[in-house]
Amino acid sequence: MRTGNHIESYPRHIALSDSVVVWFWLAVLMMALIMLPAVSGLFVLGLAIRILIAAVGAIGLNLLTGSTGQISLGQSGFLAAGCYTTGLLIADYNWPPELALPMSGFVTAALSLLVGIPSLRLKGLYLAITTLAFSFIITQFLLFAEPITHGPYGVRIENTTFFGVDLARPTALYYFCLAVLVLVTLGVLNIMRTRVGRAFNAIRDHDIAARAMGVNLTIYKLTAFGASSFIVGLAGGLMAFQFRFINVDIFSVTLAIEALAMIIVGGLGSVAGAIIGAAFIIILPEVVGDAIALLPDAVGEVLANGALEVKGLLIGLVIILTLRLEPDGLIGVWRNTKRYWSRWPLSV
Amino acid sequence: MDLFLNFVASGLVIGSVYGLIGMSFAIIFRTTSVLNFAQGEVMMLVAYVSWTLAHTLHFPFWLLLPTTILLAPLIGMAIERLFIRPMSGQPIFAIVMVTIGVAIVLRSLTILVWGHEFEGFNVPFSGGVFEIGPVFLLTEQLAVLILFAVVSLLAWAFFRFSRVGMAMRATSQDETAALLMGIDSRRMSSFAWGISAIVSGLAGIMVSVMFARAPDMWHFGLKSFPATILGGLDSPIGSGFGGLVIGVIGELSAGYIWNGLKEISGLILIIVILMVRPYGLFGEKELERV
Repeated sequence: MRTGNHIESYPRHIALSDSVVVWFWLAVLMMALIMLPAVSGLFVLGLAIRILIAAVGAIGLNLLTGSTGQISLGQSGFLAAGCYTTGLLIADYNWPPELALPMSGFVTAALSLLVGIPSLRLKGLYLAITTLAFSFIITQFLLFAEPITHGPYGVRIENTTFFGVDLARPTALYYFCLAVLVLVTLGVLNIMRTRVGRAFNAIRDHDIAARAMGVNLTIYKLTAFGASSFIVGLAGGLMAFQFRFINVDIFSVTLAIEALAMIIVGGLGSVAGAIIGAAFIIILPEVVGDAIALLPDAVGEVLANGALEVKGLLIGLVIILTLRLEPDGLIGVWRNTKRYWSRWPLSV
Repeated sequence: MDLFLNFVASGLVIGSVYGLIGMSFAIIFRTTSVLNFAQGEVMMLVAYVSWTLAHTLHFPFWLLLPTTILLAPLIGMAIERLFIRPMSGQPIFAIVMVTIGVAIVLRSLTILVWGHEFEGFNVPFSGGVFEIGPVFLLTEQLAVLILFAVVSLLAWAFFRFSRVGMAMRATSQDETAALLMGIDSRRMSSFAWGISAIVSGLAGIMVSVMFARAPDMWHFGLKSFPATILGGLDSPIGSGFGGLVIGVIGELSAGYIWNGLKEISGLILIIVILMVRPYGLFGEKELERV
């Protein structure tokens, strides 16, 4: 009789997952993702690229907000910092893209330490407002410091050759984003299994208690800010390759709220949740947009004219409903379903 | 000197708007300890409804003002009842996230219903110019200053003397004790949302009279955070004066240092303040047991 899942050797203990089934389905998923450009049209591919980039950003935010419990409303500012770093380094300083992309991670991480230092004394709402303030300051700087950032005129990126591959081609960009996402996922999953990750969770659960247990709040909070923003900066850098023409208007408050919606819907503190949430938030408006096209003309036209508003409405409703009905998000639904099946007929 | 005084005057005008919105943040926060991220959107919605009353239904101004003051709390209380009350007992983080969701829902609905157009909001007193020494003020700017003074005074008197105001203060100090004294804390939360909708709704009308009834009005909600942080999240009067300070600093820094600072000088100020005093200038430090 099965009494539980016993781990009896160190290699099994170190493995990310010791379940053959999980590895099998992950392999199937990876195969499907690799095959996607061969079968899909350009629209689906564009959508997939958006999901991949959003997932990288959501994993980054999740590391800070979900795992360490530091609420950040400043994601649009950090994304903007990453995006502009890559864009400006390539366009104005002729840096090779191979160096510009990692640099965007480092610059954003350095900026985030600036926010991180006040965070050492701030909690909850005050921190949320401070991060919001920082993101305003960053976008305002980008808009007004014209000699450095081209101000309102935006930045055009011509050179997108990454190790001999031109990322202007959607297929190439897709595989590149996929690779970044896989690397980031593996990185964060492993961080969360180390001393650092456990310290993050301790800070989230109760920072004063964590401090009493010997977790150095200064070091670990700043690490969380740095690591999270490094990843968000990378996502910003990828956005530069995606748009190839960047402008401050992209980085509105709504973007930061969308990012929060992704990790709330997916499930706070879970890497898989962040990826699922990103996919959900990107796909939902598209599906609803298609559904609206099926409506009678009069209603459909009103809603089609306000596509942006319909999207906002959906994101707001999704946030409200998730928090009200299933605070653990989609990953919580998945866990419950899994438990229901594995414990049947004793499940509740 | 004349220039300086004019900067101060226009700073006070825009600061009054920040102050009114800051006050409505504080009214909700001190009663329910929830920071309402949807305040700017509530303000926008009330202003839009009032604009429709004035321009589509042609309400005269003497009727428009009382009608708006009656409608605003209904809007505020409806939002509280629909979205916030079902979340009671949940962590503050979740409730604040819900207000962010409400914000984006309200904003989108308002724009879907009323469209993207900028529309003027005409009131009988707009258009005149007042000259006070070297300072020039439009009549509507003067009206904002007067409105701010009146609302601050009323808010102070309300919290100081009225039964409901005292009950709200009691709820914020100790919810259990307040319940034992026979105060219905849920009703207090509902009242807080209603009152703050009036205050921010009046601010919204003044914004649309001074600039336009525009789909980006909700930005004023975000811009008013510095006011309420400066004055203390739990002090309506403090938040009001915080607004004046932020407004004047914004105008002065934009006038004398750099135009780009207008929007962000208040934000820079509160980051510095929070680094020195993490609970705001007038907020109280919480002691926490583990």
